[in-house]
Amino acid sequence: MNGQRVLVVDDEPQILRALRATLRGAGYTVESAETAQGALTAAAAHPPEAVILDLVLPDGNGTDVCRELRSWSDAPVIVLSAVGEEKEKIAALDAGADDYVTKPFSVDELLARLRAVLRRRGAAPEPVIEVGDLRIDIAERVVTVDGRRVKLSPHEFDLLRVLAQNRGKLLTHRALLREVWGPAYEVEAHYLHVYVSHLRRKIEPDPASPRYLLTEPGAGYRLVDPANDDV
Amino acid sequence: MCRVDTWSRRSLVVGVLASIAAVAIVTAVIAVVKQWVPVLSLGVLYVFAVLPIAVVWGLWLALPVSIASMLAFNWFFLPPVHTFTLADSENWFALAVYLATAVVVSELAARARRRAAAAEQRERESALLAELSTELLRGRELGDELGEIGTRAAGVLGVGTAQIELGSERRPPPGTSPYLLEVADRTVGTIYVPAGSDPNVAARHRFLPALAALLAVAVDHDRLEHDALEAEALRRSDLVKTALLRAVSHDLRSPLTGIRTAVGALRNPTLQLSEEDRRELLETIDLDSDRLGRLVGDLLDLSRLEAGGAAPEAEVWSLDDLVREAIDALDARERVELSGEAPLVNVDATQIQRVLANLIENALKFSPPGAHVHVRITATRKEAIVRVVDQGPGLAEDELERVFEPFYRRGSDTRSGAGLGLAIARGFAAANGGRVWAESRPGQGATFALALPVVEVPAELQA
Repeated sequence: MNGQRVLVVDDEPQILRALRATLRGAGYTVESAETAQGALTAAAAHPPEAVILDLVLPDGNGTDVCRELRSWSDAPVIVLSAVGEEKEKIAALDAGADDYVTKPFSVDELLARLRAVLRRRGAAPEPVIEVGDLRIDIAERVVTVDGRRVKLSPHEFDLLRVLAQNRGKLLTHRALLREVWGPAYEVEAHYLHVYVSHLRRKIEPDPASPRYLLTEPGAGYRLVDPANDDV
Repeated sequence: MCRVDTWSRRSLVVGVLASIAAVAIVTAVIAVVKQWVPVLSLGVLYVFAVLPIAVVWGLWLALPVSIASMLAFNWFFLPPVHTFTLADSENWFALAVYLATAVVVSELAARARRRAAAAEQRERESALLAELSTELLRGRELGDELGEIGTRAAGVLGVGTAQIELGSERRPPPGTSPYLLEVADRTVGTIYVPAGSDPNVAARHRFLPALAALLAVAVDHDRLEHDALEAEALRRSDLVKTALLRAVSHDLRSPLTGIRTAVGALRNPTLQLSEEDRRELLETIDLDSDRLGRLVGDLLDLSRLEAGGAAPEAEVWSLDDLVREAIDALDARERVELSGEAPLVNVDATQIQRVLANLIENALKFSPPGAHVHVRITATRKEAIVRVVDQGPGLAEDELERVFEPFYRRGSDTRSGAGLGLAIARGFAAANGGRVWAESRPGQGATFALALPVVEVPAELQA
């Protein structure tokens, strides 16, 4: 393991302690903080490669930390949320968080998400993206599934491109609308749902049970490689 | 006017005596005056005998009085004197005048008397209704008032007793006859009067519907109030449920997350855990299981208290001993200073220790690190008071009561447990006949007080 630095922020001492031991065991170097202010101070002192951030902190919320962090750091952020904090979770994702896990989470799931966000972070812009049998040529705007070319409308292509460039990452409705249709369309979620279903019909082997383009209920969409169980 | 009761029987005797006296007096006056005035013109004086009798007793006595007057006049003064024969037809005319006067006057008097009686009756009815409406609408419990209302309605109806039952008609109690209290098509209740008694007809038609309307309003008022109370209770229990869900979401989940993370890490073969990490993970499981256990215990206590199932087993204890035990249970002897008296209280020791431990634990939690919590016991003849004084941030005025609501958290504190400790303290205190309250000004620290009734020490045992 490479000793990548992970900053863990949670005000529950026992959760913090368990996460520290777990992440150390997985080979990461762990920094920790219990407050929003402490998180920003720690991130500034020792810039982390990734941040695991609780949504509810004694002196503020995770969303604010996320937004602040984003203004000077591109370290991926995984949010720890709980049932009942859905609004906060979406707000944090919109503010730049990369993913979330819901408490109580499984250690395997958290470690997989962490690996995924760290891998994406290192990736350089690619002219051609391959996800399973899906091949997207960004420059030529050509998409093939299992070698067979599919015809996509310009918006369908842009939607697939944004998802593919962030593959594995959860993208909120708002973020997708902004990227594909522009900031004025951020609240027009029905556009998105319609185009996602078009896209699924063209790229999914079985559009009724999608394997590439997954729905995160109440949050957004995520493009994954069906063969890779990391995410 | 032909009511035969004790009053009119006595009145009959008095009336007859008065009539005889009246006729005798007028006859005597005429006998004296006739030497100066022609006797025939004096017959009109008998009007003064007939008139008062007609006014006071009515026609039934005025008629005989006028006949008696005429006969007396005839016998004593009209020629031929001392006979009932009339020499002159003018005398017949005089007699007719007396009779007519008697009839007219007594009828007028009777009418006035009837009016006065009716007005008085109405006044009694409306006074009663007005008073009842004030009392009932002021929020007096209708059920408590029915006996009194019945008694007073009996007075208005002119019957001995009356009993009011709300709701639809039931079998009348033996020896009574029922009259329905109805408004529009609704039967509000029934009023039972003694069988055979004859309630004043006019009053029955006028008073009973008004009473029924009033009772209907009062019944509705009672029901609405009851409904409102029930709605309020429901709303509050909804609030409690929402708060409970929130507490479950946060306070049960946090220790669960700690445990699950630690277990997941310990069981994950890909992780390389040091001996130190392994020990820390086990300790997390240990501490968070404790926390879960305490929380579940608190929730159980609270629901038992709310269901009224926390019956105290009272014994006499010295209050300072209970405080000391509570401090020891918290392992907080270093940070708590105890002073004051040692009154005796009759309480469930476990429950009161719990109250004290919760108050002290709360004070410690909000004290700055290293600061002491002061516990002082004072006692009056009736009450012992334990004050737990901290040097924390204190409480705002509007928090003084809210801190005792289940799941209430002070300020932005997210780590102060589920917010059940003070609610439980108050519940156990109340179960033992005591009270718990907060006193504070922001910035001056908070004081939480427990008051318990003291046990009187017999004089021979006092030092």
